[in-house]
Amino acid sequence: MILSDLLGSDAFDADGRRLGAILDVRLEISGAPAQLLAETVVTGVLVSSHSRFSTWGYERRGEDGPFLIAWLQRWLHRGSFLVAWDDVELVDVGRVVFRAGYEQLDPMLPRAPREA
Amino acid sequence: MKNLFAVALGVLTAIGGFVDIGDLVTNAVVGSRFGLGLAWVVLVGVVGICIYAQMSGRVAAVSGRATFEIIRERLGPRAGLANLAASFLINLLTVTAEVGGVALALQLATSVDPGWWIPVAAFGVWIVIWRARFELLENVTGLLGLTLIVFAVALFMLSPDWGELAGQALQPGPPADEPVATYWFYAVALFGAAMTPYEVFFFSSGAIEEKWTEKDLAKSRLNVLVGFPLGGLLSIAIAGCAAVVLLPAAIDVTSLSQVVLPVAEAGGKIALSFVIVGILAATFGAALETTLSSGYTLAQYFGWSWGKFRKPAKAARFHLSMIVCLLIAVAILATGVDPILVTEYSVVFSAVALPLTYLPILIIANDREYMGDRVNGRGMNFVGQVYLVIILAAALAAIPLLIITGAGA
Repeated sequence: MILSDLLGSDAFDADGRRLGAILDVRLEISGAPAQLLAETVVTGVLVSSHSRFSTWGYERRGEDGPFLIAWLQRWLHRGSFLVAWDDVELVDVGRVVFRAGYEQLDPMLPRAPREA
Repeated sequence: MKNLFAVALGVLTAIGGFVDIGDLVTNAVVGSRFGLGLAWVVLVGVVGICIYAQMSGRVAAVSGRATFEIIRERLGPRAGLANLAASFLINLLTVTAEVGGVALALQLATSVDPGWWIPVAAFGVWIVIWRARFELLENVTGLLGLTLIVFAVALFMLSPDWGELAGQALQPGPPADEPVATYWFYAVALFGAAMTPYEVFFFSSGAIEEKWTEKDLAKSRLNVLVGFPLGGLLSIAIAGCAAVVLLPAAIDVTSLSQVVLPVAEAGGKIALSFVIVGILAATFGAALETTLSSGYTLAQYFGWSWGKFRKPAKAARFHLSMIVCLLIAVAILATGVDPILVTEYSVVFSAVALPLTYLPILIIANDREYMGDRVNGRGMNFVGQVYLVIILAAALAAIPLLIITGAGA
C-alpha cells in the first residue's frame, strides 16, 4: 500500500456510518536517519468531516497566522479528529473502517521544538 | 561609502526595473482616456507590490530557501501546482509581451518591422541569461531604464495645467463620456500591471542568487520602499504625458509611437532618443526577469537545481525550460499578434492570477518553522490581508469586466 491509497479515503465507524475523509496521516520516526529519510511508522490518521481540502499546515499548534486564512481553515476542518492506527480495523479501496469503541483524539500537532 | 553606493545602486535599479511594457502601455492608454483619473490605482498597486515584495524577500533571506520550494512543502503539491500553474502561465504571457516590447522599441529606433526584431530580441535575452552575471544584468538594465525619467521631464516641459491634472487625480471616477465598466476595467488592468507577479518571484529568487542573509534585509527593504514608489511616480508621469497631449487630441494608444509621442513633442529628438533607450532597457530588463522567473518557478516547484550562480550545465533543466519559454514566446509573436494587445491581455490576466500568487506568500511569511521570530508582525498581517481582499476583488472582477467592456473598447 502507498500513502495515496489511504489519503482521500472515506472513513467509517464500525456501524457503517460515514465519519468523513482521511485527510492526512501522522508519522513517527522509528529509526535512525537513512540515505534519504529516516524510517517512519504511521501512528494515526486525520479525519475531517466537512472537507477534503488540504489543511495547508494549519493542523500544527501555534500556526495561526494570518488570521483570515487560519479562521477559514479552522471552519473548513471544524470537528476533525485523529484516530490512532491501532483503532483502524480495515483498510479497503477508498474506505477505512475504525474499530468499535475507537477514540477521537485531538487533531492538532504539538508545537515543533524550537531552538533556543 | 561602499555601502552607500550599494544602497543607491539598489534603489536606482529598483526604479528603472519597476516599469515594464505592461506599465508603459497601460499607463499611456489610461492617461489618454481618463487623464490622471486612475492615478490612485497606481498608488494602491505600488503599496501592494512593496508589501509583498519585501515579504517574499524576507522569506528568502531568513529561510535561505526559495519561495516556491516552501510553498509546495507547506501547502502540499496540489495547492502548490495551482499556484505554479497560475503564476507560470501569466508569466509566459508576460515574457511574450516583453519580447514583443523589445521588438517594438527596436522598431521605433530603426523603422524596421518588429517581425524581424522578434527573433533577435529573444536571442539577445537568451544569450544574456546564459552568459551574464546576475548582478550585471540586473544593474545594467535597471540603470539604463532610468532614462525613462524623461517622461517626468517631458511632463514639466509640456507645462500643463497642473490644477487640471490634480483635479483629475483627486476626483476619481469615470468621466461623463466613458461607461463605468470601462473605468473599472482599466482600474483592474492598471492594478495588474503594477502588481505583476513576476516581480515577486524575481525578487525572492534574486535574494537567493545574491545570497542574502538577515543582515541584508534592511538594505533590500530600502530598495523596495524607495525604488518601487519612485517607479510608480514614473508610471504616473507616463499617464500624465498622455493626459496632457493625447487626451485633448482624442488620440488612442495602439502602438508604442503614441506612448512616446508626448515626449517627442516636449523634447524633440533628444528626448525621443532617451525614451527609446529607456523603453528598450525597461522591456529588455523585464524580458530577462520574466524569463528567469519562469525558470525559477518551474525549477523550484519540481525541485530541479537552479540559479544563475550555477554553471548552465549544473542547472540544465532550469536553462532548458527558459529556452523553451522563449521559443513559445517567439512562436506566439510569430502568428503576427500585436504585442500591444498581448500586453493588454497579460496585465488583465495577471490580475486574475494575483490571489494564487500572493496568498501562499502571506501564509509562509507567518510560518514559524521557516521564519522563526521573523514572521509577519500584526501590522504587516493586517495590511497583507487587506490587500488580499483587494486582490481577490480585482481577480474576480477582471474576466467579467473584460467581457462586458469588450476588452476596454
